[in-house]
Amino acid sequence: MTEVIVWSGFIGGLAVGLYGLIQLFVTGKALGVSTGYGNVCGLSCATPYFHSGEYKTNHSWRIWFIVGLPLGGLIAVLTSPGPLVLSFSLGPMYDSIFPAALWAKGLLLTAGGVLMGLGARMSGGCTSGHAIAGLSLLNLPSLLASAGFFVGGLLIANLLFRVIG
Amino acid sequence: MSKYLFLPMGIVFGFILSRAGATTYDFYAKLFLLQDLQLLWVIGTAALVGVIGVFLLKRTRARTLIGKEPISFEGKPYKKTLIGGSVIFGVGWGLAGACPGTALAMLGEGKLGALFTISGILIGTWIYGLLQNDDAKAATG
Repeated sequence: MTEVIVWSGFIGGLAVGLYGLIQLFVTGKALGVSTGYGNVCGLSCATPYFHSGEYKTNHSWRIWFIVGLPLGGLIAVLTSPGPLVLSFSLGPMYDSIFPAALWAKGLLLTAGGVLMGLGARMSGGCTSGHAIAGLSLLNLPSLLASAGFFVGGLLIANLLFRVIG
Repeated sequence: MSKYLFLPMGIVFGFILSRAGATTYDFYAKLFLLQDLQLLWVIGTAALVGVIGVFLLKRTRARTLIGKEPISFEGKPYKKTLIGGSVIFGVGWGLAGACPGTALAMLGEGKLGALFTISGILIGTWIYGLLQNDDAKAATG
């Protein structure tokens, strides 16, 4: 698995926070990722939900933003000392509890993704929109959603690593 | 404002997510097992920086750099599925060891498991859209 440079949480948080502020100040758009996935749905299917309201214009800034994210990850690797490794490894902890068979591992990761896609739309945002942008605004619904994100994470991680694992 | 500007902005944010440790699977497991709070520090510090910055932007009545428009500080609204949805999201977050933004940055790092996670997020988003259509049909008879 690719090893990347990791800053201290404080410096990383400073960078994430400043990024969100600069995006808001420069463009007027609050940080957010999950709505962009809805734009992808809108560009690839006729489901009416993805062609009304905030999905009226699916070829939005959000599409270009989520195209940029993998390129940013790639640059982070190229500026780290280690090589770029293409691998399905999830690192020591998840690999120790997930099945080794690719199909089974893929099924679990897909399930995790489905829950995130569904949950993000039910709550109106993901970790970027609710936890980072929303908390910056001291927005109460975002505070509740962020707390809910953590509750879900605590539940599943303790089930996976302490009960099953 | 050009939406293409968000390509370089996405690159910068993807890079920052990686450096912050948010593309490292183990940090998610360790966060939720309360063994290493790297990502809690990231979110906490980012939120604190955001609160201070938003206060300053409001105080100075700053306008957007591009377009010179007033900045909206309106937060996301409450909805009745918010609490349940956020817990469902959290379960997916801890299960996949990634979130919707970081899964994309992980893909760029060669962490191919993200392909499954990203596909799942698209499927979950699409399922929600389908259910909304059913609700709309039920409501209008």
